[in-house]
Amino acid sequence: MADQTYDRRSVLRATGAATAGVVLATTATTVATTSTASAAAPVFAHGVASGDPLPDGILLWTRVTPTPDATPGSGVGPTVNVVWEIATTPDFARVRARGRVSTGPDRDHTVKVDVTGLLPATTYYYRFSLDGAVSSVGATRTAPAADAAVSRLRFGVVSCSNLPDGFFAAYRYLAERGDLDAVLHLGDYIYEGGGGGVRPHEPAHEILTLADYRQRHAQYKTDEHLQRLHATVPVIATWDDHEVADNAWSGGAANHQPDTEGDYAARKAAAHQAYFEWMPVRTEADRIYRRLRFGLLAELSMLDLRSYRSEQVGPLDPGLGDPSRTIVGAEQLAWLESGLVGSGAQWKLVGNSVMIAPLQLPPLPAAQEAALTEMVGQTEGPSVNPDQWDGYQSDRRRLLTALKDNGVRDTVFLTGDIHSSWASDVPINAGLYPLTPSVATEFVCTSVTSDNFDEILGVPPRTTSLVLEAGIQALNRHIKYCELDSHGASVLEVTPDAVQMDWYYLANKADAASALTHGRSFRTRTGTQKVQSVGTPIGTT
Amino acid sequence: MSTAISRRTLLGGAAGAAALTAFAPSVAMAATDLRVYVVVVDGCRPDEAAGAYLPTVRSLAAQGTSFAAARAVSIAETIPNHVAMMSGVHPARSGVPANSVWDPMLGEVRDLGLPTDLLAPTLLDRLPAELGLATASVLSKDYLFGVFGERASHRWAPEPMLPITDHAPDVFTMQALIDVIDDHDPALVFANLGDVDRFGHADLTGSSLRLLRTLALIDTDAQLSRLVGHLRRTGRWDSSVVIVLSDHSMDWSLPLSLVNLAGRLDVDPLLAGNVRIAQNGGADLLYWVGPADQRPAATDRMRQLALATPGVLSVVDPASLQLGANAGDLVVFCKAGWRFSDPDVISNPIPGNHGHPATEPIPLVISGGHPAVRRGLVSSAPARTLDVAPTVAHLFGLGAPAGGWDGVARTEAFTGVPVGN
Repeated sequence: MADQTYDRRSVLRATGAATAGVVLATTATTVATTSTASAAAPVFAHGVASGDPLPDGILLWTRVTPTPDATPGSGVGPTVNVVWEIATTPDFARVRARGRVSTGPDRDHTVKVDVTGLLPATTYYYRFSLDGAVSSVGATRTAPAADAAVSRLRFGVVSCSNLPDGFFAAYRYLAERGDLDAVLHLGDYIYEGGGGGVRPHEPAHEILTLADYRQRHAQYKTDEHLQRLHATVPVIATWDDHEVADNAWSGGAANHQPDTEGDYAARKAAAHQAYFEWMPVRTEADRIYRRLRFGLLAELSMLDLRSYRSEQVGPLDPGLGDPSRTIVGAEQLAWLESGLVGSGAQWKLVGNSVMIAPLQLPPLPAAQEAALTEMVGQTEGPSVNPDQWDGYQSDRRRLLTALKDNGVRDTVFLTGDIHSSWASDVPINAGLYPLTPSVATEFVCTSVTSDNFDEILGVPPRTTSLVLEAGIQALNRHIKYCELDSHGASVLEVTPDAVQMDWYYLANKADAASALTHGRSFRTRTGTQKVQSVGTPIGTT
Repeated sequence: MSTAISRRTLLGGAAGAAALTAFAPSVAMAATDLRVYVVVVDGCRPDEAAGAYLPTVRSLAAQGTSFAAARAVSIAETIPNHVAMMSGVHPARSGVPANSVWDPMLGEVRDLGLPTDLLAPTLLDRLPAELGLATASVLSKDYLFGVFGERASHRWAPEPMLPITDHAPDVFTMQALIDVIDDHDPALVFANLGDVDRFGHADLTGSSLRLLRTLALIDTDAQLSRLVGHLRRTGRWDSSVVIVLSDHSMDWSLPLSLVNLAGRLDVDPLLAGNVRIAQNGGADLLYWVGPADQRPAATDRMRQLALATPGVLSVVDPASLQLGANAGDLVVFCKAGWRFSDPDVISNPIPGNHGHPATEPIPLVISGGHPAVRRGLVSSAPARTLDVAPTVAHLFGLGAPAGGWDGVARTEAFTGVPVGN
């Protein structure tokens, strides 16, 4: 019996995140070990998830529907106690820890449990139960011990999953690989817009209220591929703009009109609350930027590039270099800088929702310029993208200069946002590159589904884009790879010798069963601060 | 000065005798097959070690273990890091925190190039004394030859010395290294190849093309290839552990990107006339020589003025870096692309400098033909120059010195150590 395999201490190591008085005594209800429940069970209709792995802990997540009327965003339904348990085998013959956590309509019946007391670099299985209903079993994995010599890590890397734009087959691909330590989601996990495409958003209108955001998160969490991904591997997520509204900044968003949509602060608070409820992220005082360590091999700094940033300015505005404008905020910048300079890990990975490598765009025909503007978020003009770090050059220079001044090697920015694939060296002075050194590298994953260049232009893929891609690389000597058409997922392998990113592309994002095939691979060798093309993708062994 | 004279005497005596000056070992040599060669490519950057111009280093890395996160100890200068390699202890214990310090007895700034400057035991003297194993030092710079004094069983006095760079070219240093191997077959040889550093210092194209530097890299690699080839030809390869590393990296500044602190400190009413500066390229050591009761206020003022100076990266308490008392009251580091020039703006005209944090990353490769060497490993461990001594000691079965090691034996580079006894 599972009851015989855990002790009270292990139970008490766990706390329920964001819930009051999560207590479990040894009298906790035992989870039925012969459950036939599945993800389709109504009580656990939104699946299970884990996230933010630590050497001794993991965050577990689920959502319960205790009564038929307790639908997401409804604000109704009883307060219930949900039992969780975590084991080293999928049959739960050896339960490591078990507990009970309270949830109710105040948190939209979501459940978050921050389990501690686990073993490092270990695969665990977990499940939840409520009144005899048992969730599907999720698999997860803790991080290596902080001082461990780690020979290899593999992460999935994804961003920009607009549900109406297609199916999440890229998530399915990552779930099926079976070799990932975690998946990094770099933002735009949900989109705020209404309407439909391949499949309609719920609710059908642009989301504005807490109930709206809860319902939208709930819709995404019913996607079969997304559920499968979450049940297979821990996810480390940060948000970008669409978790609130397009081109968000600290006090507003391009896609927010106060006159008709109300107070932006209230909207942002609602969006953040729903995000914290529905995502397996560990937060402190509503702060989402955080750092995770993976032995001596790597440290991952996940950034928040929306909550503290100054309002975007135009692409030719002198404010682009104004040191009073910020993309990260003073506190987060100091945290990031000191963390990178003082890191005890070899590879400094930065989960970075918008591109940091400078980007100059060649002169374009009007239609192509408009398409690119829509895709990368420019407000106007062809020269720079002020929604990215290009629009906050003082912060970028300070950060990159700190890397150079302190001899920080092996910093890799992992980026989403712009629905396309990029691999770049990151020099401080791109205009003189390669006569000036590169101080870091950047890999940008493409979108899971969100439209990009060919779709916005309405042209076949790999036609018009080819000319623009060549122009971008000719104008930007530090950019070694640029692909504007494909969707999919990336796989990142970290070894002491190199960090390699493989881009896998969807054959058809409108087909839920679409296959993904290897597109390109780039790597950065240790100590080089440069990317180079690689012919062979990472194996699956 | 007496110290300067004694140093010159030591150099002159050795160089006057022969290029290779052998001293009779004081103890009988122990029988052991293991040979360890620690070769410092002075001033080499990690990206250069992995690049096109050092194929021998790349080959050694492929046949051994390379440490991707290796760094010099601060101050990232030549003498303290060579001392760290052979002593395995922090400068606070070795007495050697920088190349140049203020000497209150002499009343002047001087290099730490005297045998009496080094206070800690080193492998060069401990292996002969405690295990009866012969050691040798083959060091291309006179201050290195000076600071290690008569510690090694066999010592080469660098010559011929180039007049401006003040070091022996690698081609001569390597010949001396090969000669000492052939003539004495020491268990441990500690060598310094100075060309990459010296031509890097002088490279006016260092900020861009690095023309001189590149030529030096190509030649130094050829010398390393000579060593490997010689060990193979003479049947020593299979019993050899070869450690190739640098003591610090290198950074280049444009002519006007200099920091002169003396000019700012000397005009301050509190500090005027009572501050001494030991300039170490990318780091300045500041010494308060005024009344002791004014030291706290003076230190605060020095910190304040230094931090307000363009090009200054940080101001650090020497104790936080475990530098010891002779490192002074404050250490000031410059930013990448800058250099210190003290006491005058013309004191340091050379473009290539080190000592600041930007120059701490180093290549470190543990390789060789010995069967205990692990092949093809890249390690993330935060290795430092301090780790060389405990690693080599571990191979020979030599225990830690009194007070223990400050470095870490990098045993991940081997299988089944120790192998020496």
